[in-house]
Amino acid sequence: MSAVATNRPRRETAGRRLRRAALDGAAVPVMAVLGLAAFWLFPDDLGLMTRIAATALYVLSLDLVLGFGGIATLGQAAMFGTGAYAAGIAAVNLVNEPITLLAIGGVAGGLIALVTGALILHARGLTLLMLTIAVVQIVQEVANKARDWTGGSDGLSGIDPAPVLGLFRFDLYGRTSYLFALAVLIVGYLVARRIVRSPFGLACRGVKEDPLRVAALGGSPKRYLVTLYAVAGVFAGVAGALTAVTSGIVGLDSASFSWSAEALVMLVLGGTGRLYGAVIGTVAFMTIHHILASSDPFHWMLFIGLFLMAIVLFAPGGITSGIERVVHRLKRGRA
Amino acid sequence: MTKTLRRALLGAVFVTASGAALCGGTTWAATIKVGVIAPFSGPFATAGQTFKQGIEIYQAQHGKTVGGDTIEFVYKDLDQANPAQSKALAQELIVKEKVGYLAGFFFTPDALAVAPLIDEANIPCVIFNAATSAITEKSPRYVRTSFTLWQNTVPLAEHMAKQGIKKVVTAVSDYGPGIDGETAFKQTFEKAGGQVVDSIRMPLKSTDFAPFMQRIKDSGAEAIYAFLPAGPTTLGFAKAFNDTGLKAAGIKFFGPGDITQEPDLPALGDAAVGITTTFNYSQAHDSEMNRQLLAKAKELFGSSDLVTFSTVGAYDGTHVIYKMVEATGGKPDGLKAVEAVKGMAWDSPRGPLKIDPNSRHVTQTIYLRVTERKDGKLQNTEIASFPDQPDYGYKGGK
Repeated sequence: MSAVATNRPRRETAGRRLRRAALDGAAVPVMAVLGLAAFWLFPDDLGLMTRIAATALYVLSLDLVLGFGGIATLGQAAMFGTGAYAAGIAAVNLVNEPITLLAIGGVAGGLIALVTGALILHARGLTLLMLTIAVVQIVQEVANKARDWTGGSDGLSGIDPAPVLGLFRFDLYGRTSYLFALAVLIVGYLVARRIVRSPFGLACRGVKEDPLRVAALGGSPKRYLVTLYAVAGVFAGVAGALTAVTSGIVGLDSASFSWSAEALVMLVLGGTGRLYGAVIGTVAFMTIHHILASSDPFHWMLFIGLFLMAIVLFAPGGITSGIERVVHRLKRGRA
Repeated sequence: MTKTLRRALLGAVFVTASGAALCGGTTWAATIKVGVIAPFSGPFATAGQTFKQGIEIYQAQHGKTVGGDTIEFVYKDLDQANPAQSKALAQELIVKEKVGYLAGFFFTPDALAVAPLIDEANIPCVIFNAATSAITEKSPRYVRTSFTLWQNTVPLAEHMAKQGIKKVVTAVSDYGPGIDGETAFKQTFEKAGGQVVDSIRMPLKSTDFAPFMQRIKDSGAEAIYAFLPAGPTTLGFAKAFNDTGLKAAGIKFFGPGDITQEPDLPALGDAAVGITTTFNYSQAHDSEMNRQLLAKAKELFGSSDLVTFSTVGAYDGTHVIYKMVEATGGKPDGLKAVEAVKGMAWDSPRGPLKIDPNSRHVTQTIYLRVTERKDGKLQNTEIASFPDQPDYGYKGGK
């Protein structure tokens, strides 16, 4: 009797794990097909869709630290902004090859995350949250003060990237921008998936669940977290550089507290701890934001607020967990 | 309860979405669209609202057609300075809405972001506000109908020197426009023989101004030149200026007119009384055209309290767009349209205007005003005027 009782949930978790693996495996082809389909279906909205792709990569980086490392942060824009400014300054003064610029952004984002992470990640919970806010504020103020390099509050303009691979020029309609951003997102997603499935990724999850136990096993929780924070910083930096390259300008908003918070909203909307949750959340939030803002530019914020309240009321774990719950319930209903 | 909420929400989304689809679907051949990008929600919503009022007042006075073509304005909300979003919105306006003109822009980075787009699409961009001098250098298709900090500051500094003021402290918020103002003031005032005894840059988010007041007091200055973002920051500064006894000690308070703009005057209250500013427009400007503008605002919106510099910026910007449409016969040719308004002069509710052919920025009269209470209401009373002021910051100002 008791054997049956303990067996049942175990079989269920195995089934759920299988289902999640299938979803994970399907995520990349689905993303690529939908992304390309959108390219043909909405040729007039490529500007928005480019921003969605770049933002999705940024939210993905937040998912790495929050969903897989349990690091509560409201400072992810520090890495995004550093990457954007590094790529922008490099583009104005040194090189304008887009892929090199992304690499520069990634390195800059990773470095700032490594340095600040090593300083602040001994803290947990609310203290850590405060420290991450402090970091993003400092980065923003440095960008504001260094007017000769960053343009201060006027923004850093004049970024004119060369054609991608020397072949595809960034055009008025945003075709190159979008396909470039989509490709970077998919590559980023694949790399992120490889990381979370690696022994390192599993160890980070271990730290998230129980840092004491990891320490008892001989691991150093802080070292894992700092490494994860730096890796996620690279992703955020690349996302920032991608935004700089595709929009041709960087403003102080890219290293702002509100941009950090917005990423958190999108991630929670999609569901933390699943990489596709970050992508789904970004697409859902920005699409709805766009539809509402273009239909009523004066009062749309009210509707966005209502929408977010509805999500919290009806699908507290975000869209993906909502879908999973519905599927689960249907299955149980059939059985 | 929750069910009703959800239904109401879905209904609202559906109705607004289909409304947008309908608007997007109906286009007439002889309609020329103007895309307006500005903050219409969030903390800067008032700025977008004044733009919209300026446009609507102009259309109510001059009709919505030019030579058979209907002019239609399409509004896009950009709630804060966000250049990447500004570019995405402009792209959408050009590619999807097929606008022939771009307009609006409250913040400098948002205006700068669209330079590559307007050049590639050959579309004129009329800036209603964004006040950094360098913008119009970035593309030959920018025309600006607002002001720059240099334009307001240079006559103020000259006036102060002429009044016999020798020692001044500058106190500005530490961001682009503040530093522009400081540089313009210092250069002009020192050239006129005065002395800037201390230059204070205050963090943008300061709320406690007492330490700065102490520095002003210690510097032994006769007057201050101050620039801060309008609203609560200016309010805090002006209050501290009065409370710490600097006003009573006879130190005079000068600054560009943004700090005492009309929508903020009720909040500033008596703290604003006595502040002397220079600016391109005051609601209290005495002219027939201004009275008509205010009357129209009252008729359309029930009150003319919001009418301020950004209203006339949009009003005159709309006039420029109408003239551009007229000159090109409604055909899309950005460069030709801009060429047609270079050197154009006309009378506006703020006085005579002329578009400088080189900088594509308006040359205008700058007024010296003092804030005072009249009939129980605060206003900026004009006490002197400096005609034909160009943008002193255009190329080489820095």
